[in-house]
Amino acid sequence: MLEILIDLLALAVGAGFIGAISGLGGGVFIVPALVIFAHMPMQVAVGASLISVVATSAGASVAFVRDGWTNLKVAMVLECATVTGAVIGAYLAGVVPTVVLELLFAAMMLQSAYFTVTKRGDDILTKGDPLAERLELASEVPDLSGNLLHYEVVNVPQGGALMVVAGLMSGLLGIGSGALKVMAMDYIMHLPLKVSSATSNFMIGVTAGAGALVFLARGDVATTIAAPVAIGVTAGALAGSRVLPHLKVESLRIVFVIILLLIAAEMGWRALSGI
Amino acid sequence: MPKREEDRILREWTPIILRSILIVAMVVLGAGLVLTYTFAPDYYVERYQAAQHGHLIGKEPVGLLFDRVRQGNPHAVLTIGLFVLTLVPLARVAFCFMLFVRERDYTYVALTAYVLAGLIVGALAGSAG
Repeated sequence: MLEILIDLLALAVGAGFIGAISGLGGGVFIVPALVIFAHMPMQVAVGASLISVVATSAGASVAFVRDGWTNLKVAMVLECATVTGAVIGAYLAGVVPTVVLELLFAAMMLQSAYFTVTKRGDDILTKGDPLAERLELASEVPDLSGNLLHYEVVNVPQGGALMVVAGLMSGLLGIGSGALKVMAMDYIMHLPLKVSSATSNFMIGVTAGAGALVFLARGDVATTIAAPVAIGVTAGALAGSRVLPHLKVESLRIVFVIILLLIAAEMGWRALSGI
Repeated sequence: MPKREEDRILREWTPIILRSILIVAMVVLGAGLVLTYTFAPDYYVERYQAAQHGHLIGKEPVGLLFDRVRQGNPHAVLTIGLFVLTLVPLARVAFCFMLFVRERDYTYVALTAYVLAGLIVGALAGSAG
């Protein structure tokens, strides 16, 4: 038992660590790690991953919320969309063929790689749209010198539509869909990038939680896998967040892209060779 | 309640809720793994190999789960730990819901109620399906 436990913990710590320093979350890496190295079926990996994503989101969100990076109201508005998608996705995960899940996973890895390459700077607006103003979504964020920077929010319905897709992918594939969420908030709703990342991290807990509850209630979680994975991914993510300020993440970007492309190729190959 | 006061309460209490439940869940899961390693290592290997073939235990009635925890069943302790972990988002959204009710901010009462309902419906749909 000890060997299995050490292997699972090592995989999970590694996935949590890379997930934290890349900003993509542990789910993106733990699902393929369980499928490829631990020879787990996709559905088992998805169930274990969803649980671990809840844990990492909770752990990582604490500092972001306390320090004012997270826009709590934007999170609450968009969670309506992600929860809807996640519940439908988790329900469908029990009936969708594995080959489809693997192909979707490969596609999501390509999207994450694209996002990692094209991540852009802030485009802060000084005027929000009427719906965002009615929902009081505008907020302030501390800049590098500690001064508060005011930002407005636009395109809530369009951002919400993409969030339904993010939730759907989360429930189906056991990932946080952080890259999709940040894209929606940064590109479409014009939130500052750091606010988008912090808010996405915060929302991931509810999105993954919705999916995890469906899996747990259905009895589709392998407890013996999910427990060490949750502990390992959380420990890895905590270590990653400690190391992150001392790393030159820009220079690691190409490494993350290569890892994502390799995962996409492996999952795509598995799907196509299984047809 | 002024908007800034509401924001202060959310920023002060949300991390406490997240961290407290996370710590409890991790302690229960850690205890479950130690119990499993001590008392049921063969069972663990058996379940691991079954999972590799897609064979899971399936639904377990909550009452039965608590009975097994009282008997010191390691697998039941692990399952309870996972359920505690999923309480993190539920507790956080429930807290926001109660805060907005107290503040009579009905737009956000409706939004958080929807999210809360989504989480509960998901669990019910899972147990029914």
